Amino acid sequence: MTSFNLNGKPFHVEGVEPETPLLYVLRNDAALHGPRFGCGLGQCGACTVHRNGKAIRSCIVPVSAIAEGDHIVTLEGLGDTAHPHPLQEAFIAEQAAQCGYCINGMIMQSADLLARNHHPTTTQIKEELAHNLCRCGTHMRIVRAVARAAGSSS
Amino acid sequence: MTSLARGTFLKKAGALTIGFVLAGPALAARAADGTTPAGLYGPPDDRIDSWITIDPAGMVTLYSGCCEVGTGSTTGLLQIMAEELDVPIGRTRFEGPDTQRTVDQYVSSGSRTIELHSVPIRQAAAEARQALLHLAEQKLAVPAVGLMTRNGIVRVMADPVRQVSYGELIGGRQFNLTVTGKVKPKAISEYRVVGTSVARGDVPGKIFGKYTYVQDVKLPGMLHGRVVRPPAHGAHVVAIDETSVAHVPGFVKVVRQGDLVGVVCKREEQAIRAARELKVQWSPWSGLPAMDALYAAIRKVPEVKDAYPNYARGGVTANAGDVQNGLSKSAVRVAATYEAPYHHHGSIGPSCAVADVRNGGATVWSGTQTPYGLRDAAAKFLGLPLDKVRLIYVEASGCYGQNGADDVVIDALVLSRAAGKPVRVQWSRADENGWEALKAARVTDMSGGVDGTGNIAAWQGQTFGFSGYSRPEYHEPRHGGEPASLITAALAGWDKPGFDEGFGGAAANFDCAYGAVKNKHMQFTYLGAASHRDGPLRIRVGSMRGVGGPDNVFAVESFMDELAVAAKADPIDFRLRHQPSPRGVAVIKAVAAKAGWESRAAFSARSGGNVAKGRGIAYVGSEKSTNAAGVFEVAVDRQTGKVVLTRAVVAHDCGLIINPDGVKSQIEGGVLQAMSRALFEQVTFDRSRVTSLDWGSYPILTFPDLPDEIDVVLLNRPDLPPTGVGEPANTIVWAGIANAIYDAVGVRLRSLPFTPKVVLAALQQKR
Repeated sequence: MTSFNLNGKPFHVEGVEPETPLLYVLRNDAALHGPRFGCGLGQCGACTVHRNGKAIRSCIVPVSAIAEGDHIVTLEGLGDTAHPHPLQEAFIAEQAAQCGYCINGMIMQSADLLARNHHPTTTQIKEELAHNLCRCGTHMRIVRAVARAAGSSS
Repeated sequence: MTSLARGTFLKKAGALTIGFVLAGPALAARAADGTTPAGLYGPPDDRIDSWITIDPAGMVTLYSGCCEVGTGSTTGLLQIMAEELDVPIGRTRFEGPDTQRTVDQYVSSGSRTIELHSVPIRQAAAEARQALLHLAEQKLAVPAVGLMTRNGIVRVMADPVRQVSYGELIGGRQFNLTVTGKVKPKAISEYRVVGTSVARGDVPGKIFGKYTYVQDVKLPGMLHGRVVRPPAHGAHVVAIDETSVAHVPGFVKVVRQGDLVGVVCKREEQAIRAARELKVQWSPWSGLPAMDALYAAIRKVPEVKDAYPNYARGGVTANAGDVQNGLSKSAVRVAATYEAPYHHHGSIGPSCAVADVRNGGATVWSGTQTPYGLRDAAAKFLGLPLDKVRLIYVEASGCYGQNGADDVVIDALVLSRAAGKPVRVQWSRADENGWEALKAARVTDMSGGVDGTGNIAAWQGQTFGFSGYSRPEYHEPRHGGEPASLITAALAGWDKPGFDEGFGGAAANFDCAYGAVKNKHMQFTYLGAASHRDGPLRIRVGSMRGVGGPDNVFAVESFMDELAVAAKADPIDFRLRHQPSPRGVAVIKAVAAKAGWESRAAFSARSGGNVAKGRGIAYVGSEKSTNAAGVFEVAVDRQTGKVVLTRAVVAHDCGLIINPDGVKSQIEGGVLQAMSRALFEQVTFDRSRVTSLDWGSYPILTFPDLPDEIDVVLLNRPDLPPTGVGEPANTIVWAGIANAIYDAVGVRLRSLPFTPKVVLAALQQKR
């Protein structure tokens, strides 16, 4: 049995092979659809979640690497409509999504950045998201949204 | 609004049973889940109830056959409906394509959702409002002329306290009216919702992780499938060792139909493992051209002259005057060849579908752009009557044209039929890149000349191109929808002929947009439809954003700049004096003003130092279509060859603007995606297969590559009908960047992509 803290609550899953990527446990066992499958290679960032506050690529982290005391947070756990994370508010305000498939990774990676650096420069935001791919071309709005969230959380 | 509605619906959909009641001519009541007994192609399009329902609380639902593909166009459709109905946008919701619930609105592509597909919606909404006024006449005992509508309420003009809501008038009941076409929609001067930047209904769900993509569809008892594709485009199965995966936990079965091979397991990661470990012996095949001989190979493909009726025009897309005479009178002659490689659509989420094939019927959940066409293809493939197959559209990762969204449906059908249970098939990244339809490679020859006064004396071009389409979409009246369009059907042994749709959009903008050019001839030499399994070159192609537009505008607007150089003219002055349409003049002048363009010939303000700066212009449009002009500023590093787009300015006229921020978003996206394709992208292949199978081998734009700014100038034209937004700005970028690179360093690049290696080689050649 694998156990960890998921979005603030204890989570247990049984009968899963230890090498199973965390992504599939989150999506198929925990029914959380924030993290998304994009490449399975850790190249695009669509699957990003937080482990103990740090952004990780859940498609290449085996569930066996998650320790019992680890806190995993997904996009759903970051905030909801009643209690949105400042980034979620900012992404809506900037209309920073087209198809939206990459947006989970954009928000989760940026939340990690803002936790470390409350007032990132535009260049720092771009560097932080250098390994998160977007194909719709929403980049300018995403950068604006992260900057807006940084402003609002100051 | 959209997201929550979809999520709710999908939970119900899991429990739906298969099989329809066939419809009579009129629309009977919609069931609680929105289904409606209807004809083979959905409810009739001339009934108000086919489009619009109003519940007792006044919530208005638009049922549309248009697919939200991530562009926000369905929010635009809701604005148009809300405007005509006089309901608050917040009291509207969108229900997308489902062959058991919505009118067939053909294919959601070509930037046509607003231009074409909003027209019947606007009319139905206008007539619904008229019907509500008639109902209110009786309820309030006041003639319609004394009533007004606003915010979903009918009021007595002389006594506004007397009012009745739409919910009270019609809530939960049917209009039971035919759309007559006789009710006049609102005057544009009265618009309150159209023309405003309404926030997209789908965005909050996407931001909170609550949106349901096709990748998220889950049915009771659903199994997970993966496919095992041939290692070469023409390879066949020799043998499969099923015992090689018997040890995989959760293994259910190996499925083979012809060369379509797949595995089915209980869990997703188990299916991934089984697909990886399944031992399949394939026959060898190596019939692809060498990559460095691609454009020569394209030129050798025989022209297809009789493939379809429209080709009677012989592929001539422009013809006037006497080109030979013009050339003979030219003081300076210019000839140039432009090349653009294959591109991946690059959807962030690889294609996925869920199918449930049981009890003589099938239900499919798909991210297609052509729901009814794909339903037809699925039914034909399964050998089932059309009314036994239901296709439910669920948004997928952005597709930008024909990625694998349609093809994966055949995989899901084959695996579900074999397993006897619902099966979800998720393509891997390599499946997507290796087997999606690619944007076709293209080679174009241009020649022409300028006379002694610096005016264009002759303009001619020939391009060698494949079909712009290979989807199972159909053309009115419903001709097409064939499995032969799908590579997966071909793998599964489908050998009935398809429907050659011809070059269509592949020839878009292959013309001369300048009225002063009197001697011109342009020819699209059609090379047919290509597939990995058959047809010329054996590299499969299909539509991608703009179809042939980016290739064609790359050629014609680069060539326009080359002629301006020959005439020693400023590229904008040169364009304006060759008389684009009045709408074209307006966008070119607007972009020049916003960009702060100063008149001078290209490469006449040479910057010193390692980094040279340049600017380029490109334009696309005509009097009856969207017009876009862009100024692109680049910095070229002479030492490394690296090109950076530092600023883009686009002026855009798409007629009446429905949602300004939505239009801006599409322009920004079009610029960035096209910039990525210009600077970084090229599908690679060896003699057997596509080899750019991940993001390492197919790099695209990343955040550090962003320009400092993208300025968008919107020219609203309320006097003109709305036209397309998703594609035009995308088509001008390649030429604009090529023209800017020339202005910076005096090097003319005619073959994409403009990678540092290519730029450096060109700079060294010039020295």
